[in-house]
Amino acid sequence: MSSDVVNTKRAKANAAGPYGKVGQALNELDDRLGVAKGGRTFMDKIFPDHWSFMLGEIVLYSFVVLLVTGVFLTLYYIPSTALVTYHGSYLPLDGQRVTEAFASSVNLSFAVRAGLLMRQMHHWACDIFIGAMVVHMARIFFTGAFRKPRELNWTIGTTLLILAIVNGFLGYSLPDDLVSGTGIRIAFSIVLSIPFVGSYLGFFVFGGNFPGATVIPRFYILHVLIVPALILGLVGAHLFLLVRQKHTQFPGKGRTEKNVVGTPMFPVFMAKTTGFLLMVSGVIALLGAFAQINPIWQFGPYEASRISYAVQPDWYMGFLDGALRIWPSWSFHSFGHTIPFEVFIPAVVLPGIIFNIAYAWPAIERHFTKDNEMHNLLDRPSNRPKRTAAGVAVLALLSTLFIASSTDVMANFFHLPLTEVLWGMRILVILSPFVAYPITWKICKEVQAVKGGGKRKTTNVVTRTAEGEYVATAAPVYVDDAHSELEATPVPRFIIEEPDEQDESGVRTAER
Amino acid sequence: MSEHDDHGTPVSLKGLSANDPHLQPAARNPVLVERVIAVTFVLGIVLVVGFGACYWVNAAPWTLGATMGGGLFFLGVGLVAWGKYLMPKGPFVEERHVLANTDQDRDAFAAAIVERGGSVIKRRKMLGGLLGGGLGLFGVVALFPLLRSLGPLPKGTLFHTDWRSGTYAVDITGRRVQVGDLAVGSIVTVYPEGRQTSDRGQAVDQTVLVRISNENFVTQKGRETWGPHGYLAYSKLCTHLGCPVGLYEQELQLLVCPCHQSMFNVTNGAIPQFGPAPRPLPQLPLYVDASGYIRSQKDYDQPVGPGFWERS
Amino acid sequence: MLSIVSMFAMGPLVLFVGSANASSHTADQTTRKNSGTPNSSDVTINPKTGVVISYGDSAITYNAPSTSLAKLGQALFLQNCASCHGTAANGVPADGTGGAYPNLVGVGPATIDFWVDSGRMPAADPRAIQANRRAPRLNKKQALEIASWVNSLDPSYPDIPTPHLKDANVSDGAALFALNCAACHTIEGDGDALAQGTYAPSLRNIPAFEVVEAIRTGPGNMPRFTGNLSDKQVRDVVKYVTTEIQHPQNTGGLGLGGLGPVAEGFVGLLIGVGLLALLGFWVGERQ
Repeated sequence: MSSDVVNTKRAKANAAGPYGKVGQALNELDDRLGVAKGGRTFMDKIFPDHWSFMLGEIVLYSFVVLLVTGVFLTLYYIPSTALVTYHGSYLPLDGQRVTEAFASSVNLSFAVRAGLLMRQMHHWACDIFIGAMVVHMARIFFTGAFRKPRELNWTIGTTLLILAIVNGFLGYSLPDDLVSGTGIRIAFSIVLSIPFVGSYLGFFVFGGNFPGATVIPRFYILHVLIVPALILGLVGAHLFLLVRQKHTQFPGKGRTEKNVVGTPMFPVFMAKTTGFLLMVSGVIALLGAFAQINPIWQFGPYEASRISYAVQPDWYMGFLDGALRIWPSWSFHSFGHTIPFEVFIPAVVLPGIIFNIAYAWPAIERHFTKDNEMHNLLDRPSNRPKRTAAGVAVLALLSTLFIASSTDVMANFFHLPLTEVLWGMRILVILSPFVAYPITWKICKEVQAVKGGGKRKTTNVVTRTAEGEYVATAAPVYVDDAHSELEATPVPRFIIEEPDEQDESGVRTAER
Repeated sequence: MSEHDDHGTPVSLKGLSANDPHLQPAARNPVLVERVIAVTFVLGIVLVVGFGACYWVNAAPWTLGATMGGGLFFLGVGLVAWGKYLMPKGPFVEERHVLANTDQDRDAFAAAIVERGGSVIKRRKMLGGLLGGGLGLFGVVALFPLLRSLGPLPKGTLFHTDWRSGTYAVDITGRRVQVGDLAVGSIVTVYPEGRQTSDRGQAVDQTVLVRISNENFVTQKGRETWGPHGYLAYSKLCTHLGCPVGLYEQELQLLVCPCHQSMFNVTNGAIPQFGPAPRPLPQLPLYVDASGYIRSQKDYDQPVGPGFWERS
Repeated sequence: MLSIVSMFAMGPLVLFVGSANASSHTADQTTRKNSGTPNSSDVTINPKTGVVISYGDSAITYNAPSTSLAKLGQALFLQNCASCHGTAANGVPADGTGGAYPNLVGVGPATIDFWVDSGRMPAADPRAIQANRRAPRLNKKQALEIASWVNSLDPSYPDIPTPHLKDANVSDGAALFALNCAACHTIEGDGDALAQGTYAPSLRNIPAFEVVEAIRTGPGNMPRFTGNLSDKQVRDVVKYVTTEIQHPQNTGGLGLGGLGPVAEGFVGLLIGVGLLALLGFWVGERQ
């Protein structure tokens, strides 16, 4: 700048450049970090905004809620199995010897302001996190978004699902209450059932025979540090790949394999996604306010000789509990050794097979379709009947296994004997995939056969002629549909302000 | 096609007129929409402040969640509506670059790895092998502290309980059970004396004591003395997954496990007749001493609880 | 009709259920007698018969129904009960199907009072495996009269209990409940299905004295808790049941039926994820 710049407001404004003080600050940032080019590119990024792409956001934002509420909880929870005498506002526990883990969880619920809300939000957020993850994963599967070049993201996603389920189990076991303690006992027995190494692995993980004094502190550090660190790292990689490879999109007007049509990152997408973050947090907080979850004070502390009827694990572990209930008691016992197949197969082999099929699916599909092309356009599920039917069959299997975890509750509700309910569930679990597959396949075929099926329909106006005939004509397109008739344009480098008439609210009347 | 800069934005596109339809709000009546959004924002703010107030006066937990949740929700609704209805409606497009680099770059990348790496390994095969072997062995050995230091070896721990010859059966309060305590159809959870509040006593030694008759009861051949005065003792650990089998139906004479509904017949040695449990509950041999106390003759004749590899 | 249906259900069950069960069901009931001893330092027992003479613990007072009620009781019994239990209350009805119904001689007044007061008796369906609780057909006075008459045939225990809950320790009661009762009735007290069509009933709506009667007499498949629980301990359990179980502190919001994580899962998935997906439908576009 020349030294004889006049020290006036206008001179200063001119000196600051066309973008004013903000532009100057950004220039300073660019001097140090070199962010200008990358920043502009980032803000121009286009996000297709089909509603099914919001499912991943539900997962991400419920994870944010988990982190925030989780930090709050760590400030009060004590991960120790040392016994203390509970003295607090909940009288039925007053004077009982309980572990510090349990006592601190009850105190957090009753003696800490907003403690119960945070605990319930944390637990609801976990249920929604994993639920939305499953729905999101199903969307990816049914639309074929896992194909080249996104197989790695699919692998990362499947791993995230496993980590989330594990962390959920670890988390709800931390308060050491009667219901979750029973789950830990079952987990120990499942580890024990592994052939050759089961008893060693069980004693290593638990620091000795069940219950052991170290299981709660170990679960704690896994739950708050090790597994969340893995999840955060993988989520970072998941989002990085998404940004680098760009989001997929459904085929449609103006959409090709070589472009992305949607809304730019700044400001539109940021506004919508931040708003969605607030909405997800709001819904979770409302659930935490009105729907009680995991009332540990009613369950009481875990003691190994106590048990309650009608307990199940949290829903995302339900398919394992259901498998354990319906599997027959086929134990292998020979040559001085026992392999408890009645535990090992439903609890270890079955989830192993299911998740390995999930991991291998991109390769399986590539093998059968011989398709090594890049795919940035999504499939409509009805256009891939075999894949859709296979996915529905697996979901049917998992859903019936989940329902099977409540056999006693169903027997009570429907006034049926336990044995009948159990046999009914066995038959349902085995048949459900074989019934779901052909039905789904047929539905897909029928949707394909309908002209324009699956596409958004235009409305018809039905008129009746004087002779009594009915005639349907396409309705005139409404104004707010017109914007979908526009050609997509690249994000403009800058906006040319043109002075034209404005009404008193400052809204430009633009030509359309 | 116009020239593009290296981010795909056409350089000839100097700018877009502010009147361009792509930059207009999607709403038909932006003024009305703006007012509605303002209302939702105000509602959100009121509720968020309400959260602060409820917290201050220590109101019931549901008020905290309702205000916080409602406040965040309405703020979110307003923000989404702003982005959806008032911001430029687009649609906008950007080109995807081919992720793959040019053939030249790919060849250069491959050459760097194959030729340079190959030359190193080809010329120093033995060193490469030794290094690889060393790192591999380190990987294996590194697992040792990660696994073994975590806990003790099981050895014989799973094979025995603390019941011995002459151990008194006590309830959770430590009171010794007497022969006159239980009526026919009664049940009590018992532990070896002194162990009723210990971890091991609860988790391993827990035993369910039922009385199914007033006279000696024989469940199986070889167990003629095990059921004095109709008292039968079975391990409370289910042989399926270790849940306490505390559910006793006295008329059906079944012990049912609440976890996965395995049903054990108490009259024949707790043989499972339904459900996933594979083995009967081990039976504890009892006797009644001269003072009328219930005591164990010896330990269980097999490991209690669920199965594991070493269980013969 | 019901017997045909239940026979059909029993058919496949026979494959899994030991054959001993069907007959032991009736064998046990015809010889049933209360021979328990409460765990109390003040209890007095007849050394010859082992039957309790007095309890002495002030936590629960037991009172035998007045013998003057017996005559009225007999009339009521003949009218409402004898068609199954027989005119001599020994389980042998007049049509001679001996042993099919429980022998009531020597069961003690509390047993009679429990079954009649909870409406389970007179039975709505005598062939059902378990009688359901319903609005009682006979009122409290009538129940006492019948109990008095049946007791007069062979006086036994326990008598009609009155628990004194003022000094009860609800925390001890919670611990005892978790160890002894939750396995059948669930930790929330909602009850659940048991084997062969039986079930543990919900505890949400029963009066205090009935809890004592159930614990001490072990109705139906419920085990009897006698000498291993003192009257003080039983009173603590009753306090817990009549306060926490029947008026739970659902501080966190709606209780979701106390059915456990499956109910929570449905709410989380249908309401949580479902609502958010619908909101996502609004946030996103349909094309």
